[in-house]
Order: sequence, then C-alpha cells, then structure tokens
Amino acid sequence: MMSSKKQSRFAFPELFEFNWRLWSFVLLLLMSGAVLFLNPVSPYLGYTDPFYSPTVLVIPVVALFRITCYAYRKDYYRHVFKHPLACKADIRGEKENRPYSGERSFFALNNFHRYFLYVGVALLPFFYYDFYISLVYYSGYFTLRLGSIILLANALLLTLWTVSCHAFRHLTGGHIECYSCKVAPNFRKKFYLGQSFLNAFHEDFAFISLAFVIAVDIYIRALIVGLPIDYTFFKVLI
Amino acid sequence: MNEAKVSIMRSEPAVSSEVKFEEFKVPVVEGMVVLDAVHYIQNNIDTTIGVRWNCKAARCGSCAAEINGSPRLMCKTRMEDAGPEVQIKPMRAFPVVKDLVTDLSHGYEVAKKIPPFTPRPEMKSPYKIQQIDITRSKEFRLCIECFLCMDVCHVIREHHSDYFGPKHVVKIAALDLHPADSVDRSELLHNEGGLGYCDITKCCQEVCPEGIRITDNAIIPEKERIVDHVYDPIGRLIRAARRRKW
Repeated sequence: MMSSKKQSRFAFPELFEFNWRLWSFVLLLLMSGAVLFLNPVSPYLGYTDPFYSPTVLVIPVVALFRITCYAYRKDYYRHVFKHPLACKADIRGEKENRPYSGERSFFALNNFHRYFLYVGVALLPFFYYDFYISLVYYSGYFTLRLGSIILLANALLLTLWTVSCHAFRHLTGGHIECYSCKVAPNFRKKFYLGQSFLNAFHEDFAFISLAFVIAVDIYIRALIVGLPIDYTFFKVLI
Repeated sequence: MNEAKVSIMRSEPAVSSEVKFEEFKVPVVEGMVVLDAVHYIQNNIDTTIGVRWNCKAARCGSCAAEINGSPRLMCKTRMEDAGPEVQIKPMRAFPVVKDLVTDLSHGYEVAKKIPPFTPRPEMKSPYKIQQIDITRSKEFRLCIECFLCMDVCHVIREHHSDYFGPKHVVKIAALDLHPADSVDRSELLHNEGGLGYCDITKCCQEVCPEGIRITDNAIIPEKERIVDHVYDPIGRLIRAARRRKW
C-alpha cells in the first residue's frame, strides 16, 4: 500500500477519459443554459420566474454556487466521474491505473465555494420580494394564489439549502474551537448545533431545491401558454 | 438448523503467491455473527485460518474485513443479514499477512507525523474545559481505529496517493477542535497529508461502525480550515486587519 505513487500529470485527467456520463452532463448543462437565455420569461401576473430574479445574468454565479457545493461535489465525483461510483467492492467502478488528481489541481477551484455562498445569501431576499409582489399584484387587493405559495415554498427551500451549507457552517460557528471564550457562547453554540441539524439534510435540500426551481420555471411557463393551473384562494381589498 | 456457505479468501504472501477462495459449510444459529462463523471454521474444520480479533463486541476494531464486498466488522455483522452465502475477504487497501489478517503498520507510521496534543501555555493541568466546548471533539473519540474508512477510501485503495486517510483526519480534527489545544494541523494536512486528494464522496462516513460523521464533521471542517489559509485571500485580509489568529 502507498508504495507506488500514481499521481496524474494533468490538472483534469478525467477530461481525457471516454466518459459518456461527463459529456452528456455537459451537453445537458449547455442545452438548459441555452433554453434559459434564449427563451426568457418576463414577469407574468405578478409571478417572477426564479431563474430571472433579479436578472438572468446571475445564473452563471448561481450555477457555480451549485457546482462547488459539497453535496453536488459528492454526487458528480461519484456518478459522473466514478471516483468511486459506490462504496461496495464489486460496484465501485474505480480502477487502479486511472489517473487521479482529486481536488489538488483543477477541482481545487471548488474551494472558492464560500465566495459563491456570499452571492447566494445576497440573492435570497429577492425570492421573498417576488413572493410579496405576487401577493399585491392586483392594485388595491391582497391576493393569495397557488403560484404565490409555490414561490414562497421555492424561497424557503433555497434558504434551507443555503443556510445548511458546509461553508456557512464553518463561517458561522465551525471555525470556533472555544465557545466559552466568545461573546454569547450559549447562543453561538445553539446556533451552530441548529445549523448542524440542518446540515445533515444538506444533500436533500440541494436536490429538492434544484428540482423545485425547475418546477417553478415550468409552472410559470405553463401559465404563460394558458394552462389553467393557477388557483386563487382569496382576494381581499386592502 | 440453517446452514450457510462461508467462502474465505486464503493467502499467505510470505509463503506463496497463491490466492484462493475456500468454501466451508457452517450451521447458523440465531444471533450468530460472521466472526462466530469464522471461529466455528477455525475450531471445527480448518485450524490454520488466520483471523485477528479481540473483543467480539465492536469495541476494539480488530476484526475488520470485507463481507460480501462491504467493509464491515465481522463481529457486528449478523449471519442472517449476510445471507446464505457469505464471502469474506481481507481489507484490500492493506497488504495481507495471512488470510484475513492485514498489515496496518502504515497507519501507525502516519500517526507519528501528527503533532500531539499541545495545551495552550496559559492552561494549567488539570485542564478545566467547559462542556459546551468539548462536544465537537468528543465525537471523534468514538473512533475504534478499525481502519474500515481507510479501506473504503478510493484515494488509498485504488490511487495509492500520500493522503493520510479518513482515520487520521478524524484524529487531527479531534486535536484541532479541542478547546485547550494550541496547534493548527490543517496546514500539515494540506501539504504533507494530501487532504486535497479527498473528493468527499462520503464512503468513509457510510462504513464507520461507530457512526462518526467523518466527512461532515472532520474532513469538511478541515478542508474549510485549509480554505481559510490557502484559498480565501479576502478572509485572510480581514483577519489580518482584525489581527486575529487563524
């Protein structure tokens, strides 16, 4: 063990492998990116598509926030690059002589996750603002519609995913070794423990929120083409 | 009485290069674990089988092996869960001594490189530590050093890199997160320990018999500490401006 060091000469050795998973994944990303940029959705009946809130130009940053997230990293290293595919010996999909550089060269860029986190946190209020706008879209009325509830659920899921992030955990309490040496130790420790509880579900939030954003986008596009899938719970004068 | 087919990988590299599977029929009784089956074989069929064990209570971490392809403790895997056909192999990431016994000495060589607990100079023995500060470090004290996480880690098992391995990251995190300790070992982990090779696929966390959240609570916090040092220029500037230690 560990006598021979087979380290890769390349920064991104997986790029040179015959890997349909990687290239179909890249193709899917490019196609969905093209759809988002070429067929934009403008606000419709007070509903703002989350992909265009506040502007479509933040999509690359949000995509990088997702790609550098520890939850997604685990999944694409496993299911796209097979490093390894699974933990059991017979279905690992990992080979001895494969070049491997880990997160030491190209994928070391994933360490900039916290910068994308800052952008992500800054974007969160926009989703709640969109929810508010959908409530007061009809001037003089307060309207609760199915679409508004979907926008709120989307904002909540994105918030849960962002605040359960590992980088957020490190920055808000994980870096502290001695809580009793800090101001308000009990509050800080409780905050850290609460955040750690959410952190255990980070992978779930990551995928549920991603699927939900796409679902909201499809929902609003469906409304625009005239599908009668919106429902008004109540509309009251204010 | 049920019977199970237990197939054990036999080899003794010091004597011959031959590697073969030998199959034994073992009567299964309720509550029996895989280690019991190996003991049955050792006592009744073939006394030459090499197996390392000690407590048979999942406390000592000696009887780690690959049962039906999954790295597990033999004493903690019930025969009824393992099925009617059980295949037992030694841990593949380590050199075999004989049959199911592997040479784990490399792990102890790595452990020597880790700086020991170094209390802050102002602390006087016996150290008084608040409960609120000790819980994070305490989780890693559960480690029974069974080396299952090292065996399942592809960086060690397939890529033979100089990565210290999850077991040692747990050890380092236990010391780094200790409230009375004054040394930061994350730079050692980054430069010599090769933590960059870890791609957080969480296999170590999946196999840990003690349920330590190795990746979430040890590896990622250490990675974040390395980000503090190496990959976060703005954070470093802010910290330098506030004249704080890392």
